[in-house]
Amino acid sequence: MTDNLLDATRIKLTEIQKRAVDWNEGAMLVLAGPGSGKTQVLTCRIARLLDASREKSFRVLALTFTNKAADEMKERVAGFVPGLEERANIGTFHSFCGQILRQHGVHLNIKPDFAIYSQLDDRKVVLEDALKRAAGEGQPLSVDDVRYLKIIDQLKSLLIGPEEAESKLSRFDDKARIAMTYKAYENDLHQLNVLDFNSLIFEAHRLITKFPAIAARYRRSHPYWLLDEFQDTNDAQYRLIHALAGDEFQNVFAVADDDQIIYQWNGASFRQIQRLRSDFGVELIQLPTNYRCPPSIVEAANKLVSYNAHRTEAKKPLQAGKTKLKFPESEHIQLLVYGSQEEEAEGVALMISRRDRTEWGQTAVLARNRSLLEKIHQALQEKGVQAVIAQRRDDFLSPEFRWLVACLVQTVRPLDNRNITVLIEAFNRIAGIEVSVDQVIADAEATGHGYFGTWLNAAKQIISDDKHSKLLEMAGRLADEPFAAKKMLRDLITEFRATLDGDEPDRDLSQDLKAWTEIGRDIAMHVGGQAPLDQFLQELQLRSKEPTPQPGTVTLMTVHAAKGREFDTVHLIGMAEDILPSYQSRQKGDSSPEMEEERRNCFVAITRAKECLIISRSQEYRGWSKQPSRFLIEMELADTEQ
Amino acid sequence: MLMRVTELRIQNFRSIKNLNLELGKTTVFIGPNNSGKTAILDAVRIALTRKWGQRGTGFTEYDIHLATESDDPKVSPGVSIEIRTEEEQPGEWPDELQQDLDDISQLDAVTGKSFITLRASCVWNAADAAFLPAWEFLNAARAPLVGRSGRRVNLERFWQYLPVFYLGALRDADDEFSSRSQFWGRLLKAMEIPSALEARVQRLLDILNRKLLQADPRLAQVADVLSGATRVAARDRAGSVDLRLVPLKSWDLLSKAEIILRNEPDWPWLPLQRHGQGVQSLSVVFLFQAFVEHLLAELYEEHSVPVLALEEPETHLHPQAARTLWAHVNELPGQKIITTHSPYFVQHVPFRDIRLVRLTEDGTEVRWLPPSFSVQVPDNAELAALVGNNAQLLDFDTATQTLTVGGKLEEPLYRDLLTCYGIHADRAVISGVLHDLKDRSQQFISDDELKALETYARRIRGEIFFAHRWFIVEGQAEYLIVHALARELDYDLDEHGVSLIDAMNNGNPATFAALARAFGIPWCAVFDGDQAGNQYIQSIKDRDFDDAYVDQRCAVHPNGDLEGQLLADGLEPELRTALNNTGQADAMTIDRPTLELRLGNSKVHYAAELAAMLRGNPELAARMPQTFRDAIGGLRGLA
Repeated sequence: MTDNLLDATRIKLTEIQKRAVDWNEGAMLVLAGPGSGKTQVLTCRIARLLDASREKSFRVLALTFTNKAADEMKERVAGFVPGLEERANIGTFHSFCGQILRQHGVHLNIKPDFAIYSQLDDRKVVLEDALKRAAGEGQPLSVDDVRYLKIIDQLKSLLIGPEEAESKLSRFDDKARIAMTYKAYENDLHQLNVLDFNSLIFEAHRLITKFPAIAARYRRSHPYWLLDEFQDTNDAQYRLIHALAGDEFQNVFAVADDDQIIYQWNGASFRQIQRLRSDFGVELIQLPTNYRCPPSIVEAANKLVSYNAHRTEAKKPLQAGKTKLKFPESEHIQLLVYGSQEEEAEGVALMISRRDRTEWGQTAVLARNRSLLEKIHQALQEKGVQAVIAQRRDDFLSPEFRWLVACLVQTVRPLDNRNITVLIEAFNRIAGIEVSVDQVIADAEATGHGYFGTWLNAAKQIISDDKHSKLLEMAGRLADEPFAAKKMLRDLITEFRATLDGDEPDRDLSQDLKAWTEIGRDIAMHVGGQAPLDQFLQELQLRSKEPTPQPGTVTLMTVHAAKGREFDTVHLIGMAEDILPSYQSRQKGDSSPEMEEERRNCFVAITRAKECLIISRSQEYRGWSKQPSRFLIEMELADTEQ
Repeated sequence: MLMRVTELRIQNFRSIKNLNLELGKTTVFIGPNNSGKTAILDAVRIALTRKWGQRGTGFTEYDIHLATESDDPKVSPGVSIEIRTEEEQPGEWPDELQQDLDDISQLDAVTGKSFITLRASCVWNAADAAFLPAWEFLNAARAPLVGRSGRRVNLERFWQYLPVFYLGALRDADDEFSSRSQFWGRLLKAMEIPSALEARVQRLLDILNRKLLQADPRLAQVADVLSGATRVAARDRAGSVDLRLVPLKSWDLLSKAEIILRNEPDWPWLPLQRHGQGVQSLSVVFLFQAFVEHLLAELYEEHSVPVLALEEPETHLHPQAARTLWAHVNELPGQKIITTHSPYFVQHVPFRDIRLVRLTEDGTEVRWLPPSFSVQVPDNAELAALVGNNAQLLDFDTATQTLTVGGKLEEPLYRDLLTCYGIHADRAVISGVLHDLKDRSQQFISDDELKALETYARRIRGEIFFAHRWFIVEGQAEYLIVHALARELDYDLDEHGVSLIDAMNNGNPATFAALARAFGIPWCAVFDGDQAGNQYIQSIKDRDFDDAYVDQRCAVHPNGDLEGQLLADGLEPELRTALNNTGQADAMTIDRPTLELRLGNSKVHYAAELAAMLRGNPELAARMPQTFRDAIGGLRGLA
């Protein structure tokens, strides 16, 4: 073995993977099928670029779609070239935009310590307040116009600003009203120094198109860019990349699989791949060899996806490359049919429960939608199988952690009255008291004291027990000395942990504790352990507050959530018409883009399996009888039904 | 140049309450003792080093500017030192530097120039019961950068690119040329000696040592006696003692290296420390140059630029040497921030590089001749259009909302600017701000005018910057007479720091009046009561001075030119004597018109005689022109 992990890994690469890893200048598109080792290619290439330029200071930019993927890549790069990972700027589109705006947002009047509102409720409150204010100023708006928030989100995701909204909404009767609502919303976000998710990309795009010199700066400081899961890039993200690249820049290395586009609803489109090819004149290479799945699954996947018309021309079919197989071929794909949805849930749960416990952690149940999973979840729990429905969680579950985060936010943004509301309500729940939000805000404004301090005084007068007094005292120290936030945090967490020792541990709190620890570790790895509080909070907002499951837990997830994951055993349930493919896609027609997307959903789902794939369907769902999924027929599995 | 400190903002630091300074490649600070020059140099040093963080050299409450003696430093808003370094041309910083400092580098979105702003601050922290120093990088709106940009590593990196070196006024060659000194020691340590040579040196040293020991047997006997010490100390085993008459290692040789020099070819070589103070002091300055040229890139980054804070480079130097020193110092690599007390040194410093430092009620004040003037006003579309139409004179930076005028703001353009805010809610405040901009821009002195001064005023320009007041007269005759007269009136001009400027020999009076205004130097003037004299006054008024102010500052002789006035004051006998003393034997007898003609033709000569006659002659002084005597009397309270 070589003592250098990077060299050792590179030796093991195939010729074609090596070509991608060794690619230098110029644009390249790597069409990488599922299980083709694309993450290895990406991380090796980053590591190689850094390794070959030890005397230099430039950074390599790599954009991914999830923080998890970014953290994993960063970890791998750090393993390959220890000490150089600092020069790998790996993150999601959103976190990268946050980075741009923190450093240069001032040219758009965005202060570096902006908050990110990721939750719909928060944003609704902002819009409601904005509407009230606007109505008060005589604009013909009312709180009911909060219903436009969704349209506003869509406009922003198409990079349409409030000024041009009206002209772009020609089909809408109430376009003037929508535009006015949009303006009021943006105005209040700006006043609060808050960005929502879509603003991150919208404002970053606005910044670099308005001031091309900033884009030029990024091209200089980051001469190589890598784009992971490029097929999921939506229009706004693509335009951001294009604007950042300008006319000359070519060093874009994109890894994509057009057969895995499953975010069409979010604007991901085959068109983005075409745009990339025409805008950058890319060199195309393909990684069709699949090292993950048994050959029969690869074969089924090839058959399935050949029914799609919107694909890269001359795209090579997947080739089976997996050599070590755990099970005999007959077990690689199994198909089960049940009489009812309940029977399906029961049957699948039973199968899993009979397997050895040690296999549970490597078992996943995938479904097109969440409602199917809930039944299985229940059935598994009844059989004593640990299982969890994996889902992004935007907020903590327990009032303790909501309060803790709100306290931190309040020290950074003392004038945030939305946050003080969250803080007060969360503590009311913790302590079982009723401090009035309106009263605190009114008192603070009347006396000129801060919200935080005013609330502390109000709460102290009501609280008498030791446990909650202690929490208040810690919060008080936090308010007095935001510098000492770190220590205060440790104390509070210790305090929370202690309450878990009781007979009936609070499940939400224990989940949050676990998630908090993990997020803290991830953020420390991503931005360094000494990140100042405001940045820590920005990162926290961007991340899911869901802890990784206990070892030995069966993972239940939607196909969308399963992207990029792999499991030894995969159960794909609900393989019936109107489920997968969905009812909506069938309405659009058999050769509609929606139907193709459903097919890709199926493609993604089956290619998650490393050893065996168990497909099941019921003859009815919700009391309606359903035909077998057309995809079963396309994969030529239907006749094996037993 | 790659990088340099282009702007310095200091608040509440020692004698400084609030100071904004622009720095050039070389900047020379002139001012009386205790006016705050060293505070400025120290501010740069503190912002660019760890000085505040180190034990022992920590920050004390004495470093906080206090308006009165009873102020409590703990409630002060604290010290703030901001350093800005900006590209002169967009894209000037090389890739390596730009990439290395990417996290902290900001962009002027309009000009495309990169810049970095670092703030060092020190505030009383009640929790820690100490003054806590902090360094943070700022964005274009001077708010702290957070996130990646806020990481400590950025600070180390930035300092690596702008290493600061301090050469205080008391430069001791003994210290600076020791093996542990900042330049010499590091240079010596960096010397690479091939190992073969090193081994040879070692062998030779050993042989030499042996031969020396053999030369006198007593040496070996001494060593033997001394070895008794090891027997006492080590007990178990007998140690040994040897005598080393030459250095043990080649480093010991190198560390003893010293500079020897001789001033003339056939004089003996002498170690530097045996030379005069001036040579020693100067050597240290040149040592810095050697250090930068040979070691800076190795110890720092390829694109590092040294910032040299240099106090009184002229120390102990002969005037002639001080005068030529400027050229050498100016040629030193990197950015230089210099203080000086030498008019000779200043003589060749370009006007725009000079900063006059003085202590006022509001703390340390610095005056200079800025090439542009700025104010902060809000952005709006009308302003953008106006700036666009006057791009050669106006500039607006949206990030900092700063309007800059690169010259004098004339009335019509000023009115146009006001119109931009005609309906703005804060128009009252804004028009005040713009008015202030217009006022300040009246002090603008153009490059052409300065160039003329560089040419004509070289002789006096060294000393005038050290003066507290300026007395402007027309020519050398006035110069001689006023000097002598003032002494007899018990107000010696030299003693009171008054520079008497014979403007006609050095440019023109209006330029000096404008210079005095820009530098904040109180001034007065006396001119001939003829057409030319009145024209001077008019030319001063034309420099946007208030008419009444000029009339108060300037006086003209009521009876024509200087000679006319002296004659009118009844000094005809003295003038004839003066002429006679210059060798014009017929001076006592020539008729009046001839006398007037002669006086006009030998101004300097008769004036020198008259000046000599004034010495110790209060009676004569009392008869001298009233305008001169009034002006001298007025100097006392002139502000």
